[in-house]
Amino acid sequence: MADESFDLVGCLERVRRRDQVAARQLVEHLYPLVSRIVRSHLPRRVAEEDLAQDIFLKMFTRLEQYQGNVPFPHWVSRIAVTTCIDQLRAQKRRPEFRWADLSENEAEVLDNVMTDERDVLPGDALAARELVQKLLAQLKPDDRLVIQLLDLEQKTIAEISALTGWNQTLVKVRAFRARRKLQKLFQELQSKEKS
Amino acid sequence: MNRFEHQWQKLVALARQAPADPAAMPFGFATRVAAQAAALPAGTPWRSLERFAFRGLLVAGACSVAAIAFNYSGLLSDQSDDYASADTVGELLSLS
Repeated sequence: MADESFDLVGCLERVRRRDQVAARQLVEHLYPLVSRIVRSHLPRRVAEEDLAQDIFLKMFTRLEQYQGNVPFPHWVSRIAVTTCIDQLRAQKRRPEFRWADLSENEAEVLDNVMTDERDVLPGDALAARELVQKLLAQLKPDDRLVIQLLDLEQKTIAEISALTGWNQTLVKVRAFRARRKLQKLFQELQSKEKS
Repeated sequence: MNRFEHQWQKLVALARQAPADPAAMPFGFATRVAAQAAALPAGTPWRSLERFAFRGLLVAGACSVAAIAFNYSGLLSDQSDDYASADTVGELLSLS
């Protein structure tokens, strides 16, 4: 969070009294958190700004329902994650994944990872992130979300369960299913690369 | 760890090293969102009760089912009572 000294309780109280300045301060305070979640789970063809705006408007609409059982940023994170997953679900068709779609750097990173010929270089990180996002785009939205949170954001099963509202068994099942699909994708890519 | 798992973990570990883009807020974003939030309909005292409505409906439904189940035998015996009273009337008529 940008400002640790921010008086969140007081600000929320003023927002409930329809104070527009407080509403603006709340958005400014929470923007880095919401932006990070949106960027991690951003569906194709959805503008980051539009999605962030949807999340904040949902937050204001539901503010009366917040009872303080969990820290406010956690509550907002949950709204952000569920809004992203709704957007991902709305995108029915996933683009076909082809070796030709990869940039030169992405192809090189994938080749290195698959063949284990040389250690990947730190400079390959951006290409690796793009590649991972392309691979995750092939998964079902719920599975994609689980892998994103588990492997990229390194959250625990319990944390994912709290964020998504899914029980821990369901999270594990989705992670297993996603990894199996990713394995199949890897195998397909390997065979395409060889041919 | 199987071969795929090793490859995947290597890839995501590298992806995690990618520097995060700075989360710069678009100009005027907070003001715009705050203005839109202000335009939303104000919360009424009834709104806080709305979330209890569905639970209330479920509880009411469960109570109705339970009430019917507990009184089912009573309803049947009431019907037999009706027949009994009809017989009584018949008996009274036959006496007169």
